[in-house]
This record gives sequence, C-alpha cells and structure tokens, in this order.
Amino acid sequence: MDCPLAILAFSLSLLGTFLVRSGVITSVHAFATDPERGVFILGFLGLIVGSSLLLFAWRAPKANIGGNFETVSREGMLLVNNVLLLVAAAAVLLGTLYPLILDALNLGKISVGEPYFEAVFVPLMTPALFLMGVGPIARWRQSPPIELATKLKWALAASAISAIVAPLILRSWTPMIGFGLLIATWIISSGVTQLIDRARINPSKTWWQNLRIQPAGYYGMLVAHFGVAVFIIGVTAVRGFETEQDVRMQIGSVSQSGGYDFKMVSLKTINGPNYAAIQGQFDVSKNGKSVTTLFPEKRIYNASQMPMTEAAIDSGLTRDLYVSLGEPINESEWSVRIYHKPFVDWIWGGCFLMALGGFLAITDRRYRKKEA
Amino acid sequence: MKHLFILLAGLTIGFVTPGVAFAQNNTAPLVSDNPALEKRVLEVSNELRCLVCQNQTIADSNADLAVDLKNQVRQQLSEGRSKQEILKYMTERYGDFVLYNPPFNAATLMLWVGPFLLMLLGLIVLVRQIKQRKQELSKETFSAQEIERARQLLDRKLGNQ
Amino acid sequence: MRRYLIPFVIFLGLFIFLGIGLQLKPREVPSPFIGKPAPMFNLPVLGKEQTSFSPDQMKGQVWVLNVWASWCVACREEHPLLVDFAKTHSTPLIGLDYKDKPEAAQNWLKQFGDPYRLSVSDMKGQVGIDYGVYGVPETFVIDRSGVIRLKHIGPLTKEAIEKKIVPLIASLQS
Repeated sequence: MDCPLAILAFSLSLLGTFLVRSGVITSVHAFATDPERGVFILGFLGLIVGSSLLLFAWRAPKANIGGNFETVSREGMLLVNNVLLLVAAAAVLLGTLYPLILDALNLGKISVGEPYFEAVFVPLMTPALFLMGVGPIARWRQSPPIELATKLKWALAASAISAIVAPLILRSWTPMIGFGLLIATWIISSGVTQLIDRARINPSKTWWQNLRIQPAGYYGMLVAHFGVAVFIIGVTAVRGFETEQDVRMQIGSVSQSGGYDFKMVSLKTINGPNYAAIQGQFDVSKNGKSVTTLFPEKRIYNASQMPMTEAAIDSGLTRDLYVSLGEPINESEWSVRIYHKPFVDWIWGGCFLMALGGFLAITDRRYRKKEA
Repeated sequence: MKHLFILLAGLTIGFVTPGVAFAQNNTAPLVSDNPALEKRVLEVSNELRCLVCQNQTIADSNADLAVDLKNQVRQQLSEGRSKQEILKYMTERYGDFVLYNPPFNAATLMLWVGPFLLMLLGLIVLVRQIKQRKQELSKETFSAQEIERARQLLDRKLGNQ
Repeated sequence: MRRYLIPFVIFLGLFIFLGIGLQLKPREVPSPFIGKPAPMFNLPVLGKEQTSFSPDQMKGQVWVLNVWASWCVACREEHPLLVDFAKTHSTPLIGLDYKDKPEAAQNWLKQFGDPYRLSVSDMKGQVGIDYGVYGVPETFVIDRSGVIRLKHIGPLTKEAIEKKIVPLIASLQS
C-alpha cells in the first residue's frame, strides 16, 4: 500500500504546482497565469507520473499478498481509513478540476467554491471520524463487533449526552454546531476509552507500567486524534458563535461585541516608511477591566496611491478580537468593523497537534528496525 | 428669588441632560438602518461570485461591481423578491458562473454525486478484496519441505530469544 | 494484471484535460445572451441629454455596441481601432458610457476621437448589469432583429475585428 501512496503524494504535489502556476484554474491560491510555463510543468508532470505509474503496473503484481484477516478487524479498519481519506482527497480534486473539465468539453462554465466543498467533505469525513474512535481498539485479524460496542459504550453515551445537552445550554444552537460538538466529544471520549483499554492490557501489571511500554507511535496517534478534536471544536466555535459588527463610531463611542467593549479613543495621521495612514486607537475592555489596545490603520502607499486596510488583531487562547477601519462617513464618524471570533486559534492548535502526533509517530523505533 | 431659582433649575437641567443623553448615546449605532435586511443581503450575497475578484463572493469583495451588485440585491430584497428570484436575475445576466454554489443539473451531476459514488465503490471493492484474499489464503497449501523449514526457522528464532 | 494499469489510464485522461485547459481562458465569463434579444433600455444621449436612445431604434440594422468609460485605461488601447473601423465600415457603432461623468466622457472623446454614431450615459451602471457587463471595455454585435450575436470581452484587437467581427457582420447583413 505504501508504494502507490508515495507515488500519489508526489504526483499530487506536482499537480498542485501545475495548477497554481499555469493559470488553468482561477483560485485565490493561483498566483500566476503563465501558460508557457504551464506547458513545461505539464510535460514534467506527465513524464514523472506517467513513468512511475507504468513502473507500478509492471512490478506491482509481484508484490507480497500479506496475512489473513477479517473485514471487521484492525487491518480492515486501517484499509477503510485509507479508502475514505483517498476519496476525500479525490473529492477535493474533483471539485477543483470540474469547471475545467466542463469548459474543455464545451458544457458551459460553472464555478465551484466553499459551499460545495463543505457540502461534500463533511459527509465524507464523518465515517472516518467515527472510525477514528473504533479503529485503535479493534483487534488485529478479527474484532467481533459486539466486543467493540461494549468497550465503547461509555464513549457513545458521552457523545449522546453532549448532543442532547448542547442545545439547552448554548445560547445559540444549530444542527451544525450540535454535530461538531458531537464528533469532538466522540473523539475525545473514545480516545480516553482507548487509553484506559491500553492501560489494562496486561492485568498483572499496573496501569503506569502498561502505558510506559507503549511505543511512540501509539502516543503519536493519540495526540494526532486529539488534535482533530481540537480542530473541530475551533471550527465549530468560530462558525457557530463568531460576531461581526459594522458600526459608526466617533471619538468616544463604544461598541460591544462578544462581551468585550471597544472604545474608539483617537484617530491620528501617521507616516510610515512608504505610506501615509490614518491610525485609530481602540481600547478594549471586558467588565471594566482593560484587555488590550488595538491600532488599526487605513494606509495609502506613496508609490501606487492604493488604499490598504491594516486590521488590528488581538489573539488569545480562547478568542481573537479584530478591528478594522472602514470609510469616513463624515468629519467625525467612521464606519468600523469589529469581529469577535471564539476559539479560532484552536484551528491552528489542532493542526499543530496533528503534526506533532505525526512527528512522534516517526520517532517510533519500529520504523528503524534492523535485521536480526 | 423665584426667578433665580428657575434660572438655576433651568441651567442645571440644561447642563445635566445633554450629559446624560451623551453618555447614553455613547454606544455606537450600526452602519445600516435595517440590520435584518442587511443580514439577508449578506445571505444572498454569499451565494454570488464576484466576477472581478473571481475568488470571492460579492459579500467579501470590495470591487466596484461587487458593491453595485450588492446594492441590486438590497434593492430587490426590499422590494420583496425572494432569494431564488434574485439568483435567477443574476444568472440570466451572467450565466451559471456567477453562482458560488454550482447548480445541480445534468452537467454537474457527476460533481455532486461523484464523491459519494466513489466512496461506495471504494468500500465495495475493498470488502470484496478482503473476502477474496481470505479465500485465496485458505486455499493455499504448503509442501512438507516448506513446513519443515518454517519449523526450523521458528525454533532458531525462539531459541535465540 | 491489467487492473494495475488503471491508475495510468486515469492519469492519461487527466493529462489530456489539463493540456486542453492550457488553451482555455478560465477568467472569461461567457455571455448567456448570445442568441437572445438585447435587453431593452432608454438612456439619455451623451452631449444631447434631452434626447434619448433605445435599441429599438436600430431594428432592421446590424450594429455594434461598445462599452467604454473615460476612466478605463484599457479602452485607450482599443480606441484607435474603433476610430479606424468607423472610417472604413458603415456599420453603426453605438457607445455605452459606463459609470462615467458626462463632462469627463465628452472631454475624453474630444481628446481621443469619437467613432460613435452616438453614446449613451449609463451613469449608475444599471444597463451594464442588464447586459452582464463585468469589466470595461466590452463589445457586442447585434443583428437586425435585435438579437445579440457576439460578445467580446476586453479590448478589441486587430485580429478579433478582422477575423471575428467583420465576417460576422457581413454574414448577418446578407
């Protein structure tokens, strides 16, 4: 399985290079439209990937078939995981290339954006996220479903409770928020179940002894899975609870957002190295206590005379606060945009944890075993 | 004396009231007069692609055309048109490309259904492969020599443990 | 054995599409009006604001509608070609002055030449939206019964005029 995955990984990165450099698709990530360079990259892509795939087709049948296992088993679940992740990647590729394919076939011009990817990616990843809780406690070769259900009953109960309780205690609830919290609860509670299951693996040893001998790869997996839960909480919290206000402010006015008070203290003209700007000072406080001071700017660069908005951001573990100047409405009032985004840095934190988990897994000694 | 009192009262009220009023008016008002309408404008705008900055919706884009189209949306919404009617208005003039969410029709069927078909196909192929492999392995037989060699290897390995 | 060739075949298909993709122009938005009647409008004429113009007035003729503005830099590129076209062809050229100030527009025409039979002022850009205009300049070719036959996006080039527009007009006139 690793050989085709390696070919796929490199091929996709070459494909990505081609897509953003050649101007073949319009996207926020495409930063050059150079069809000539595109021809070269396409040629390179064709040569490398084509020959790898031909080589694979020639040599693959001689590869080893491996051991025996049931469909419901750790091996089976690992393979299902591969299939689901590949399909999710294929779905993203499909959405990216579809406008191009339709255009090439003269079937019209459509555009594919965020709503499509959300609508498709979430249902595809949901089974994978569910299996994330089941896979690690499945036995190799054969794992009776009853046994799995018994071990996971507490995790299932915790997830069900979170789904029922959430709409009652949260100030605003939508099915998406409920779903996000459900999955995050499932991942965390099944993770705890896995850890306890491992701790009890050898009844004649203590929990600590059992956990100490687990390989680095095991902890890498736990950290990475936890990272997924953190990521999902971040996305759910921001989508469900972020607030955005468009307000008219003058010196002295206060605006509230997300429980914070934003007071416009001053507006002054400043000069930067290659620009002139209007800089606003905003004092941010919560319940009377000062939190931070933000300095958003509206800059005009000397060379191009282009106006640019520099937003001021205060990042925190549980929220980001964001102020940006809009346009002057009259001599004393400006339109100002204020955002409160809860848990948005957890999106980054979750990805960092996933990477950390991967790194831990790489340090596992089993990947560096020597022949006996 | 009465006049002085009235004067003082008047001055006091005259000075205090604006102070109180100012303190209360300190809270910044929203830019739009009709936040409910603005919310709907945002909702519809988030489904229309900006044709100038083609990676953004007209809600996010600052291009002139985006502002013009947003005003169109606002005007039509306040006239009572539905979201569907407004989207139709836009596609009549700019084609399907202006829809941020691709339409569901014969040409885009593969787009919407494709990923799920692929998932189904992948899982079916996988399960069949596993069952097939099980059958193949159970049919595998080993010669007496191979079994003897396996036993020797195992003994050596376990002996050296 | 042959099923291991499937990834290669899929890749080949993808490769062909990408190759075709390099020839296409993904940023161009085609007009849904090709083959449909030109939308109705009634706008004041630039320089003679008491009179107005509407596309019905052109029924029975093949004509060209060119969207331009004094603030549009790319329009200056194509303008000499339009001036030339007006001199050598009898096809009426009507200008749609898009989101412009009439005074600035008239000065611009004085400076760069006026190839138009007349121009109309679309100050708010509403007629532009009705025609699916998303950038300036754009050019439409409209036939005798008022149906749009061609939309050219961006500045006109010699090639576009000679190879597409002139032959189209000729075929529509016969």
